[in-house]
Amino acid sequence: MLNEPVGVLVVGAGASGAAFAWSIADIGTSVLCLDQGPWMRQQDYPTNGLDWESRGMAEFSTSPNVRRLPADYPVNEQDSEISPLMFNAVGGSTILWAAHFPRLTPGDFRSKTEDGVGEDWPIDYETLEPYFSLNDRMMGVSGLSGDPAYPYHEPPLPPLPLGKTGNALAAGFEKLGWHWWPSDSAILSREYEGRAACINLGPCLTGCAQGAKASTDITYWPAAQRKGVQLRTGCRVREITVRADGMADGVLYYDAEGQLQEQKAEIMVLACNGIGTPRLLLNSKSRQHPDGLANSSGLVGKNLMFHPYTMVTGIFEQPLSGHGPVGCSLWSHEFYRTDRTRGFVRGYSFEAVRGFGPAQTAMWGMVHGLVPWGEDHHRSFARLYDHTATLLGITEDLAEETNTVTLDPVLTDANGIPAPKVTYRLSDNSRKMLAHAGERATEALKAAGAVQTVAMPLLREAGWHLMGTARMGRDPRTSVVNERGQAHDVKNLFIVDGSIFVSAGGVNPTSTIQALALYVADSMKTNLATLFDNA
Amino acid sequence: MTDSPAALNDLAFMDALLNLLIPPNASGSLPGAGTLGLSPGVATGLQADPLLGPMVGAGLQAIREAALAQHSEGLSGMSPEAGKRLVEAQNSANPFIMIGLLRYVYPAYYQHPQVLRGIGAPARPPFPEGFDVEATDAGLLEKLQARAVTLASPPTLLPDRRSP
Repeated sequence: MLNEPVGVLVVGAGASGAAFAWSIADIGTSVLCLDQGPWMRQQDYPTNGLDWESRGMAEFSTSPNVRRLPADYPVNEQDSEISPLMFNAVGGSTILWAAHFPRLTPGDFRSKTEDGVGEDWPIDYETLEPYFSLNDRMMGVSGLSGDPAYPYHEPPLPPLPLGKTGNALAAGFEKLGWHWWPSDSAILSREYEGRAACINLGPCLTGCAQGAKASTDITYWPAAQRKGVQLRTGCRVREITVRADGMADGVLYYDAEGQLQEQKAEIMVLACNGIGTPRLLLNSKSRQHPDGLANSSGLVGKNLMFHPYTMVTGIFEQPLSGHGPVGCSLWSHEFYRTDRTRGFVRGYSFEAVRGFGPAQTAMWGMVHGLVPWGEDHHRSFARLYDHTATLLGITEDLAEETNTVTLDPVLTDANGIPAPKVTYRLSDNSRKMLAHAGERATEALKAAGAVQTVAMPLLREAGWHLMGTARMGRDPRTSVVNERGQAHDVKNLFIVDGSIFVSAGGVNPTSTIQALALYVADSMKTNLATLFDNA
Repeated sequence: MTDSPAALNDLAFMDALLNLLIPPNASGSLPGAGTLGLSPGVATGLQADPLLGPMVGAGLQAIREAALAQHSEGLSGMSPEAGKRLVEAQNSANPFIMIGLLRYVYPAYYQHPQVLRGIGAPARPPFPEGFDVEATDAGLLEKLQARAVTLASPPTLLPDRRSP
């Protein structure tokens, strides 16, 4: 079925697609967004019920391979040391994220210049700064201005309380003389723009029933729809179609009833995340683009970057009342910059995590042999419950062409579209960095008063951050999109998600992903008259 | 060989097994897992789990059959000590059976209102009441404010290296 053509067609209604759609609506043309997932309802989130922890391991799992919901597509992760995570709905992975909201630092945009590794970005922090700030206002960010790890910026809301957990950890960092700062968090410390303040439900990773945690279904999308943007849910895009001259002219997608639909558009924008976007490009082979769309460089799907995580949990004698937004209390950039005496280049940040729920405490204790079954169960559980605090070391992954998203030759989604296959190996640099981060996290937890620490050297289930698979650059031979997010090969095709990251930094990427999306939209608005020159 | 669901559907067996895994505590404030009616939910979860279900189901069936070989009433008729010895013997042969089972038992147990009250947690969902969280330590905030950069000052931890 052929639908009414639109001016701008955005694929993906998550962090970047929502921000982009909201901004590009200013040009006055018709804007349509397709998403394979549904709208979520706050009353359906697990924290409405006693079984919130069980549901967080099942239909609200962060892994599509565990959830296996109708909106999900499978990901072959057998050849990956890290499991990719994502959520497919209006709001995308912001539905289930922690909302820890650091920006990339200025130095992250020039790792080659600073340290001789990776590539420099074709844009810098200063270029993105207005978009960071705009995005902070749109999402509703709480934080404390003045962090010496960053250029000065003012979050629109005061920081979230650290709680006993954060206060204890901060005291540990103070004792060691290490940098720490309250996190910028996309969670409301006060009522803001019609949204209620955080009431410390805790498990942000299963959706926020309060609506205090920013997810783009409740931040950007209402504003975008007021501007006239259309959003069509339950639509899974099979491929991008092209004209005889190789320019994109729309998509073929399956609607919620499984019917194949055709949607024409003048401008195509991909916001499907660092796995979904290369998957779609590789699935869009044509006579004009036999290796997949926008892939003359051969780099679509290559240079996949995660953030390899290490996790160290401290057990404390005193109760820590570990409620509050689970991933948002404080961060540290003490080991963010390269110090070659450590044996690796680049660095990592720490993110403090508040306490586990009762079921998670028991499960975590079981995995680490600390909560046995049998007579000693209750004593062992009581020693852990409400007595743990965790530090995550988020390490910078360096881009490598051998870490890839390709099309699985066998596996498909429910519509028969080839599924992505992730091939990923940790580099020696990452392994050394993880080891260093684990040792330093242990040191910090002990300084904070932990009587025992338990380390997970590499978190496998932590592939939240999907970056680099259609990277940005000025040279069409070594990048997929230019400095404005525009595909070198297909001038009316833009990419605005984490795929276009050149380097990963050592912090959560969503703030930067959204700032990039706003920047690309603004750049399009500014250059509309000459957008397709040299096409 | 008997089909694996036989053990999962044998409520007396499952209740007895769950009571071995999480027995009541000494004071009685925390009940045994087998007395809370969790077995059907645990069985349902395992039967729907394509990865753990078959392995755990087969392992539990072996435990059930071994128990029946020792006592006409099976595990529910055995003393806790004898039951524990039997389960431990099976567990030492394949510890993943118990890990797989506990993947469903622990969440079920620690979401039960009686258990939540017993561990000192409120027996209610997080929403809509939420929880109180201690404010940020004022002394810590003072230290941060002393280190804070201002609009006019460059970041100190990550200086802009392009600056002269």
